[in-house]
Amino acid sequence: MPDPRATATVTAASAEGRQLDDLLRQCVQCGLCLPHCATWLATGNEVQSPRGRLLLLGELLRSTGMESGSVPVPFLQAFDQCIGCRACEAACPSGVPFSLLEHGQRQAAARLSDRAAGAPKPAVPGAVLRRMDRPGWLRFLSLTAGLARGLLEVVVGKAWRRRLDAGPAGAGQLVRLLGSMPASPRADEDLSHMLDKLCGRRTGMDGRLAQDVPVQTRDHSEPGLRVAFFNGCANAALMPGTSRRFRDLLGWAGCRVEEPFFQDCCGALASHTGRPGRAAELEARNRKAFSGALETGAVIVAEAAGCGHELRNYGGDFDENVIDAVVLLAGLDLPPLGRVPLRVVYHDPCHARHGQGIITEPRRLLAAIPGLELVEPEEPEVCCGSGGAWGLRYPEISGGLGRRKAANLAATGADLVVTSNPGCLGQIADALLLDAPDLPILPLTDLIWYAVQQARKSLPD
Amino acid sequence: MPDQERDFPAALFSILKEILGADGFHADEAARLVYSRDASHLTLGQPLAVALPADDSQLRRVVELCRAAGVPLVCRGTGTGLSGGAVPGPGAVVLGTSRLMEFGPVDQSGRRVRVQPGVLNDGVSRHAAGCGLHFAPDPSSQSAATIGGNIAENAGGPHCLRHGVTLQHLLHLEWSDAQGRLLRTGRGVEVERGLDLVSLLCGSEGTLGLVTSADLRLVPNPPDIATILAFFPDLEDAARAVVGLMSDGLAPVAVEMVDQAMLVAVEAAFSFGFPTDVEAAMIVEFVGCPEEIFEDCDRASALLADHGAREVRAAADDAERIELWKCRKKAFGAVGRLAPGYVTMDVVVPLGELPGLVREIQVIKDDHGVKIATAFHAADGNLHPGVHYDDRDPDQTRRAHAAADSIIRAALDRDGSITGEHGVGIEKLHVVPWQIDGEAARLQRGIKEIFDPGDILNPGKLHPPADASFRQVKTLPSGIDFRWANLTVTAPADASLAEIQQVAMERGFWIPVGVFSENQGIGLGSGGTVGDLVANLVAGPAFCAAGTARQYLLELWAETGDGRLFHAGAPVFKNVAGYDLVHMLCGSGQVYARPLAATFQLRPIPESVGCWRFPMADPLRREADLVRLTSYLANRDDGLGGPVLMVDSSRGGSESTVVLVPGRSRPWDLGRAGQDMVDILGVSGSSGHLESKFGQVSEILDGGLIPDWALSSPDWTFFARVPGKNAGPKTWPTEVDRWIWQAAPRLVWSPDPAPQLPGWYADRLFTAGRLVSPGAPATGVPLDFLREMKVLFDPSGALETPPWLEGENA
Ligand SMILES: Cc1cc2nc3c(=O)[nH]c(=O)nc-3n(C[C@H](O)[C@H](O)[C@H](O)COP(=O)(O)OP(=O)(O)OC[C@H]3O[C@@H](n4cnc5c(N)ncnc54)[C@H](O)[C@@H]3O)c2cc1C
Ligand code: SF4
Ligand code: SF4
Repeated sequence: MPDPRATATVTAASAEGRQLDDLLRQCVQCGLCLPHCATWLATGNEVQSPRGRLLLLGELLRSTGMESGSVPVPFLQAFDQCIGCRACEAACPSGVPFSLLEHGQRQAAARLSDRAAGAPKPAVPGAVLRRMDRPGWLRFLSLTAGLARGLLEVVVGKAWRRRLDAGPAGAGQLVRLLGSMPASPRADEDLSHMLDKLCGRRTGMDGRLAQDVPVQTRDHSEPGLRVAFFNGCANAALMPGTSRRFRDLLGWAGCRVEEPFFQDCCGALASHTGRPGRAAELEARNRKAFSGALETGAVIVAEAAGCGHELRNYGGDFDENVIDAVVLLAGLDLPPLGRVPLRVVYHDPCHARHGQGIITEPRRLLAAIPGLELVEPEEPEVCCGSGGAWGLRYPEISGGLGRRKAANLAATGADLVVTSNPGCLGQIADALLLDAPDLPILPLTDLIWYAVQQARKSLPD
Repeated sequence: MPDQERDFPAALFSILKEILGADGFHADEAARLVYSRDASHLTLGQPLAVALPADDSQLRRVVELCRAAGVPLVCRGTGTGLSGGAVPGPGAVVLGTSRLMEFGPVDQSGRRVRVQPGVLNDGVSRHAAGCGLHFAPDPSSQSAATIGGNIAENAGGPHCLRHGVTLQHLLHLEWSDAQGRLLRTGRGVEVERGLDLVSLLCGSEGTLGLVTSADLRLVPNPPDIATILAFFPDLEDAARAVVGLMSDGLAPVAVEMVDQAMLVAVEAAFSFGFPTDVEAAMIVEFVGCPEEIFEDCDRASALLADHGAREVRAAADDAERIELWKCRKKAFGAVGRLAPGYVTMDVVVPLGELPGLVREIQVIKDDHGVKIATAFHAADGNLHPGVHYDDRDPDQTRRAHAAADSIIRAALDRDGSITGEHGVGIEKLHVVPWQIDGEAARLQRGIKEIFDPGDILNPGKLHPPADASFRQVKTLPSGIDFRWANLTVTAPADASLAEIQQVAMERGFWIPVGVFSENQGIGLGSGGTVGDLVANLVAGPAFCAAGTARQYLLELWAETGDGRLFHAGAPVFKNVAGYDLVHMLCGSGQVYARPLAATFQLRPIPESVGCWRFPMADPLRREADLVRLTSYLANRDDGLGGPVLMVDSSRGGSESTVVLVPGRSRPWDLGRAGQDMVDILGVSGSSGHLESKFGQVSEILDGGLIPDWALSSPDWTFFARVPGKNAGPKTWPTEVDRWIWQAAPRLVWSPDPAPQLPGWYADRLFTAGRLVSPGAPATGVPLDFLREMKVLFDPSGALETPPWLEGENA
């Protein structure tokens, strides 16, 4: 089933064209969006900036329209290279609705694939890419990747990522892929052990203090919040430990968690890889899977910021009832949090910060952990360059942005980076392996889970 | 989209590509379209190509090659300019600085940092934050505008009220001329006499050279900040309140205002919760220690209420203060929501004329039937009336532009300027002749021809055609003329500075260059004439100065060597209409032109001044103590008046450390300063102390604490620290015995003859009681240009020609 939006011809003569033109005119060309745009920062080329893209779009609307024959390839490339992070929209004082305009761009960029001249080839074969939204495949990939990484560590050494970066271009991409598989310890003990060590490094004490008493779950007199759990593909396949710990947290906070069975991928990857049909199919499937839960008044919680953003874009009851994991946690009555004497920096996923306006909640959550020092990085609003499939098509810009982000995070002197989207997690992890191998990155929920564990340890016997 | 590739000099095309690489050279139709525009909405056509050099040498190669090929070059920062400065003509190559974004290390004690031109304005302050310093010029576009663009436009911002515009924060520039030569402006020291190329390049809109690196002055972050918000039912009342505030001698760091139309737009966009039934909202900000700003805010609030403010309140906390500023800085963007087209002006008038202009703008608005929303850098007399219209409607468009021109006329009728911040570019070419006289315009064109004989650099900008009908030279003033509401004083060159300061200080104002009363000798507290000050930048060791003449000089009448009278500048606090002849000539001696009259800005005097004499500290600790003392005093420089330290170590120098500190006679200010210094020096107390109202400073001068040598010596040399190479902990040239250290500008004066000392630039200002003219410039300063400038200004050689300037061109 084709997406109707994707086929409408946008010319200045059409109603939609005129509407777009009106939106475009809201841009006063001030340029204030430039420094927030990852692709401008990476290239220094204003064609790859929000204002540049809007000027190009305006030119198309006012001159030839978007009939495929008349759109020059460099225009299409400029649109295609937009990550869609929406940092520009948040920065624009004039309120240009970039995401609406972006649709016009995407439509134009979709034609890019028809043109051999402009279309960059992704480093990953299309067949593999298209199956990324199938948990089975992902699990398979992650297993293979895990094995390969293990092997590399043995053969090349601990600094494998850095040593192999200089290798031949094709191999370099593969190595980068290996480095950017999102991961977090599967077993609780491994997570605790890792964080204990980190805390120990900071405080000079053994992080593993004695005690192990049960978590003090809240005594809720009223029936707990009903939460329908949306299991993102990447989280489920690559970070099952994190998903479980997140559900633990929800349980401890008195939520009644259910996991609708027939749910599927949110469809973000499908729409990013230009497969609106598949995206619509997935949307329908999810709507059906969650309809029961919604009827009983449950909220849908999405663990990954990216999934949450996509689900909310379904519109209707999804827009109202889907809630981001971090926002939900920040509003819950969590069990007591113990001391975590770490300096922590939070990375905002664009899907949270720009897509859903989530800025204060993760910071509030972190600030509530005793002993934790929260620091802010430079350029917090700039995209890390992951961009899902985008990153595979523009590996060089993407890789550069990852390293820029890692450098900004490392410059804070933090002991730990936390974030709330698997794509960002992998992208930053890879860049950290290269430039700051001693700085680990974890999902935010894992750190909260650990803080709850810390409270258990420090309780008197 | 016309295909211009055919016309492109193909050879140049491929060499540029080779030099710059694929990331640095773009000639596709997307790049040509995007780079044909900037924030001004003006366009001349499409450039041939875009070059994005990644370092200096690439940049200079591009310049060299384009010049050889006769291809015009338009430098570009981030294209936030509002006068079309970065808009290329067809056939030009755009040279963008977006890949030149490196910072040098912050020199914390020297309060400076070197940056590449593509660095963004607010990045500098973030870079220096760890050292407790920031870059003061804060245009509303600061998050996106580049330092190169700020320099080329001499950008201002809300906080330039206290600290001055971009020019006041430039210590040194490296630049490429039209031939691709790497040049310097000077030695990069705090004060250097000579024709000032920094002043010339700053505000030259990329028409004279391309800045490749800048040494920026940083200022300390204030200990505490307080911000008041006031709402006025009547706009004219609000404008009068601003004049009242400033004439009262208060020294806010920023006074910003928006009118009702702007307030409504901002409210609609961001819902800050401001009332929209008032005609004006005003922000007034003070910095200092908590006690100090408490006093100031109290006084200001009462004053604003007296002038008709309906509601005056203080920002509750930092968060609210930051929100307020965000609101102010986003105002420009918010108007994008009002209408698709707009003309934004940046006219300036003398402060006292603000209420009158505000009234007249209302009339113009009604006459032309247009919508206007205005934001004000109010205490600078600088306003941004924006005329909003639908650019798809030709009649609306015509009326909007007619209204804009009327507003510019109205500002000029009030002795103002056509532009205070945004520059001439292409937008204001037609109004330049309304402001500048034919002789000054001829000199400006002459300068352009010297620096860029092939007219390669940003052609068609800033200079109106030679045959435009320029205004007559403004009448040469005959006597001293104080304009209290404007906070200016105009005086002929032979007027005595001491006399001016005396009158001004009785009203609580001064020209903060530190001269006061007629004195026998030359030295602290002595003064010369207005002409001497203009020609030499400094008048001698300065009593509690807050800068040099260049900082407070607004307007100049002068005569070229062949007796042609010209006028430059305007009696306003910001003016970027054309090249800055005023500041370029200030400090150049009597070599290029003879100053005839000048207008200076008046600033409030510090309230009091304290003088202490301390017994000599333990000789072993002496040097370390004095270093700590100077660094303490440097931190007390608040932009109104700077401390001074006098040391005599010639005969073991007992009893000879004397300090002057401006401030307030309160236990929390001067009282604490005295105690702090006792602690720093580790002495039991001072061996002499005087305190007086700042206006009665002769009590201090005659009070017997200040050593005779400091008051009257026939010889004076000033030393300025050379940055970089010789950086060490030395605060003064240790080879001199008797010295006066002053905080602002940071200089050391000595009456003793001194050799050239390593790490210090020495300039002998007085010998045997006579002024000595400026010496030869540093290597790297283009002597050939200076010689041609000499010919331009003094074709017959009637004025003094120092030996170093004699040469083939002269
Ligand atoms: C929303 C908004 C608010 C603004 N607020 C203010 C304000 O408060 N105060 C103010 O003063 N201005 C303001 N401006 C105007 C503008 O931001 C300034 O003029 C700024 O300094 C331009 O910087 P830029 O990097 O964008 O330069 P551009 O627009 O790219 O270029 C401006 C000029 O500088 C020249 N140039 C750039 N780099 C160099 C270089 N390295 N060497 C030589 N020449 C060079 C160009 O040739 C051109 O002539 C505002 C603009 C906007 C859009
Ligand atoms: S910030 Fe907004 S108005 Fe300004 S150039 Fe960017 S999109 Fe246009
Ligand atoms: S969405 Fe992101 S990448 Fe695209 S223009 Fe906006 S800021 Fe740039």
